[in-house]
Amino acid sequence: MKRHRSKGCCLFAVIALAALATPAAAQDRRGFVWDNRPSIVFGEDINIDLKGRVQMDGRRFDPRIDEDAFDIRTLRIGLKGDLTKHFDWEIEREIDEVVIVTEENQNLVDIGAVEPVWRFGDWKDVFINWSTFDVLRIKAGRFKMPFGLEQNTSVSDLDFAYRTLGSTKIAPGRDRGVMAYGELFGGSLAYEAGVFDDDGDNGELEEPRFVQEGEDLENIGPSFAARVVGELFRRLPVHDRLKGAEIGVAFTRSYVPEGLNSLRGEDLWGFDFFEPVYVKGHRQRIGLQWDWSPGPTGFRAEWMQSREQRLGQSNRNADLSDFIGTAWYTSATWIVTGEDKDSDVTPNHPLFQGGFGLVEIGARFDRLTFKSATTTGTAFRNPRSDFLLPNSVSTFTAGANWLVNRWVKVVADAFRQSYEDVERAPRVLGSETFGPTVFWSGLVRLQIAF
Amino acid sequence: MRFNQVLLLSLALGYASPAFAQTQDDFFNPEVLQRIELWLNESDWAKLKTNFQENTYYNADMIWNGITVRNLGIRSRGLGSRRSQKPGLRVDFDHYAGGQQFLGLKSYVLDNLSQDFSGIKESVAMKFFTRLGIPAPRETHARLYVNGRYAGLYAVVESVDKTMMGRVFGSINGNVQNDGYLFEYNYVLGSPWRFAYEGAALTPYKLRFDIKTNESHAESRIWGPIEELVRLVNDTPADRFEQTINPRLDLAAFVRYIAAQNFTAQDDGFNGYDGMNNFYFYRLEDSTSHVFIAWDEDVGFLAPDFGITTRLTDNVLTRKTLELPGYQSQYFSVLGEAATAAADWMRQEMQRQLDLINQAMLEDPQKPYTNDEYTAERARVLAFPEARITYVRCEVSKQTGSARPAGCQ
Repeated sequence: MKRHRSKGCCLFAVIALAALATPAAAQDRRGFVWDNRPSIVFGEDINIDLKGRVQMDGRRFDPRIDEDAFDIRTLRIGLKGDLTKHFDWEIEREIDEVVIVTEENQNLVDIGAVEPVWRFGDWKDVFINWSTFDVLRIKAGRFKMPFGLEQNTSVSDLDFAYRTLGSTKIAPGRDRGVMAYGELFGGSLAYEAGVFDDDGDNGELEEPRFVQEGEDLENIGPSFAARVVGELFRRLPVHDRLKGAEIGVAFTRSYVPEGLNSLRGEDLWGFDFFEPVYVKGHRQRIGLQWDWSPGPTGFRAEWMQSREQRLGQSNRNADLSDFIGTAWYTSATWIVTGEDKDSDVTPNHPLFQGGFGLVEIGARFDRLTFKSATTTGTAFRNPRSDFLLPNSVSTFTAGANWLVNRWVKVVADAFRQSYEDVERAPRVLGSETFGPTVFWSGLVRLQIAF
Repeated sequence: MRFNQVLLLSLALGYASPAFAQTQDDFFNPEVLQRIELWLNESDWAKLKTNFQENTYYNADMIWNGITVRNLGIRSRGLGSRRSQKPGLRVDFDHYAGGQQFLGLKSYVLDNLSQDFSGIKESVAMKFFTRLGIPAPRETHARLYVNGRYAGLYAVVESVDKTMMGRVFGSINGNVQNDGYLFEYNYVLGSPWRFAYEGAALTPYKLRFDIKTNESHAESRIWGPIEELVRLVNDTPADRFEQTINPRLDLAAFVRYIAAQNFTAQDDGFNGYDGMNNFYFYRLEDSTSHVFIAWDEDVGFLAPDFGITTRLTDNVLTRKTLELPGYQSQYFSVLGEAATAAADWMRQEMQRQLDLINQAMLEDPQKPYTNDEYTAERARVLAFPEARITYVRCEVSKQTGSARPAGCQ
């Protein structure tokens, strides 16, 4: 806890600096420049930018569950830059709080008597991008696989504090790979297709791998992912505002080795409402997305489904029916202060620069369900059941965003989470019994991103 | 909803009509060598055996006496008895379905008998404790088949849980004793403990007393009374010891427990060679009073001349309790009572159980000892009761100054 307070002091200094900062023009300047972010400019199209982001949440739960009221959700630092007009690159790393487990302190860890420490955690984006031609660009390194509209939206540009459960549990997220992408037909159709080492951070193996004598150790992947997004209404006789609506379809396919390696159901606060089940075989995802931002409003919707094979996974080594995850959401937002809802939402009149900043309100409903393909016989919760008792979480989110300036954002969201299976819903703090199945929670977030 | 759950559980347990006639007593019937079949994915069985030091659960189906039970969880269990070749198992009926039970049981243990070359030490000890009125689990033996292959002879042991607390303690003041605070004593390797006070912080007690019920209650409610008990045991002078401790620990029951454990020559129990080990501790429901529950007695019957005062002064609780003349007298009295109880029963019971398991033990392909070692241990155990009874009676007479019985050296 002391670590939190001392970091808080430093963060306040950053907040003050960010709130008062005025962008300086970078044109025709070399050396240190602060435009969108601190940058060292070596020449035209050769520069190194410092990027960082922090999200601090104050939270409230009703009824109370075993979660802290204060959380540093995100703490990241990175560099990005251009190498001539043909290449750009980016590296970013998470700083997170973890409990270090050793042989000596295992007993204390088990009873929660070990304090976590801050340290550099996972690498986020680490890639280089070749972008000479619009119709064919190549990205290589570690970056987000082309699946999921919201998953591919930066954490600091989200409409709400959290992504939907489908975007974080079904969509694969980042992985190492190489991807070709570009725009066709004058930019009205965008494509992405890549090959990746594993199956994304959200689909990675969590159980230690195990092989019997004489078997080879198998890894997850490689995976193939592709997405096509187009303005399909552009050439149709519809209202002009609708012509900008984007519709996309995405697909991934990979191999998953035997084990408790399926996708898992985890709610907003990290509670496992559907533990992984035993799988073996192919994992396949399909997704549909809709994104329409007429003027100051935004309307988004996605539907996605994962299917995982369970070959030879029954108690008597027979095949089980596929494990299926299905998610969808729909959301609507409105920028009250009138700015356009485009890809770079920034206030026209920042605070302390003649304005109040940008205010946006919105609402979203999302649902994530896990179940088996078979729905006959007796349903069980165990991970080798042919008919898995389904569970789903539906979340209604309503909230407001206040962008003080381009770097500082305050988010206030309320969540209503509803669980289908009472035995796989969070327990009320101090309760020995199941229930309820509906939980309210609220969050106020201060975000600084540059 | 409730009806659906009941229906679901009935289907899950695969009850056919004859199954309704079965009871817990049938399952733990010590007169019968049970046959239990477990079916689980081959890779899970291989994983469980390879990772036998872990407590990972695996899904399984069980068949007993024509009843198929689905949707249960099994895991490796034990401390020093854990083995890869022949894992000790905990079978949980409610691991994957809250409230799922089998014959009213939430779980039971399949003891791999890896430390007991005779195969009967624990089952005889537990039955003996029960005869002496000490809370102890029911036990029987079973041939275990995993995926159709004989996996060895196991002891079937009742779990110490709420169900057993209700069975053992019944109703006190109209309140069925099934919701008190139940702890399994956790032997911390390299840190032997003999009831010395470890300070006001609850962490040392959390480490040693693993809570099994009411886990979500505040730590102060769960472990606070244990810290208080340990502190008072250490700090209270002899003249106020009984009146201070008795409301928090049934001293008479405690003395009975350690005396019976001594009679069975158990060297790894409460007054064990490396500190306390192998027991459960139960705080009665709506009460401050604690009692000890016998557990894991498979290394008893060490030697007939195991000293009746062995390490009685090492443990603070034992020493301060037995410093009181009344409890010291009770200790020797219970030893004498145990000798009497054993005289009419123990050897016959050992012989009966050995006859029951003999063929299954000889055919056990996974036991970590040879048939010759089993045969030798069988003979040694059978010789124990008579020699022990004589030894204890003689030693008690020495300690108490009573008349020396015949046969004393």
